[in-house]
Amino acid sequence: MNTQPTFYRERIYPLLFMFIVTFLCILLTAGIYLLTQDKATANELSFTRRAILQAGGVSFENTTAGIELAFNEKIAVEDGYYTTQGPDGTRYIIPLQGPGLWGTIALMVGMEEDLRTFSGLAIVSQNETPGLGARIEESWFTAQFKGKTAPFKMVEEGTASAQNEVDAITGATRTSEYFLNLTNRAADDAKRIIRGE
Amino acid sequence: MAKNTLRKTFMEPLGKNNPVFVQILGICSTLAVTNKLQNTLVMTLGVMFTTALSSFTLSLIRNHIPSRIRMMVETMIIATFVIIVDIVLKAFYPEMWKQLGPYVGLIITNCIIMGRVEAFALQNKPMLSLVDGLASGLGYAYVLLAIAFVRELLGTGSLWGYRILGSWWTNWSIMIMPPGGFFVLAILIWIIRETIMKEAKHD
Repeated sequence: MNTQPTFYRERIYPLLFMFIVTFLCILLTAGIYLLTQDKATANELSFTRRAILQAGGVSFENTTAGIELAFNEKIAVEDGYYTTQGPDGTRYIIPLQGPGLWGTIALMVGMEEDLRTFSGLAIVSQNETPGLGARIEESWFTAQFKGKTAPFKMVEEGTASAQNEVDAITGATRTSEYFLNLTNRAADDAKRIIRGE
Repeated sequence: MAKNTLRKTFMEPLGKNNPVFVQILGICSTLAVTNKLQNTLVMTLGVMFTTALSSFTLSLIRNHIPSRIRMMVETMIIATFVIIVDIVLKAFYPEMWKQLGPYVGLIITNCIIMGRVEAFALQNKPMLSLVDGLASGLGYAYVLLAIAFVRELLGTGSLWGYRILGSWWTNWSIMIMPPGGFFVLAILIWIIRETIMKEAKHD
């Protein structure tokens, strides 16, 4: 066999080989992606709906079917926001996003008719430090906004008592600050989105 | 003879040729994902899947890869398997996928995978390469799980998300931050090298 470097062996063959490998790899990943696409989209929709339900203080069964059922029954979709009927009148749920320590924090905030008192909030996505800032997703943290009135004040973890105080997260001071700014902005954003002020 | 080779191929990455505490490879993910056992397990399963299958595939085509573009081919095939892990997680375990975030995609850059392909799969038969890849993944997995065990327990007082230590326990926040990973890994390497590995050397 000829072992001399030829134009084919040196130039064409590597190019052809890489092209075929790339083609096969893309075919495989694209195929799997298309097969699972519906499921991935459904998961994302379900996550968002769950956040809306939590923010509106609506109780639901935490399964895909349960979330869909509760959402269709209790939530009305408006232009850029959502509403639901709470015990004290209409509750407004708005999407909100802003900077966190590492990336964007996106959340759903639910407010009573006065657009100041929170009916709840839920995180849609965040990239904070796992175990520290990422604890903003834990229910003890999000639950404490329920029934409280903005503007909020962050106090040391475990010491919140007044109507506008919430516990910060120990070890995640910066994330807590960003989160505080975000929630304090909520009332203004809500007025702008809902009433066009 | 063949059985011996197989045995050796399987045992070496678990012990005296461990990718993490002997070769010090894959340290990025070792530090990044080991603050929760659950995340660590999923991550290591992803790495095992990728090392095993990419070693196997590349070994299959090893005689046809032009040597000057072999690294491109390796990266392409490794990336393909990693993306498959990412897509499957996203579709079937969305909660876990959300928590792991960018780290699944970063498996592509894990040195262990490329290292085993270069050092082993390109010179050996497909089945043996599969075993080597799997064993390297296992060697990586148990070290990471050990680190995650210490970090989650001391850092949050819990294991697998369940509270183990009572309310008297003050969480060592540093354990779940990146420096905690350095501390635990360094101490682990030190202990292993001073005890088990030292004895093995004298034999």
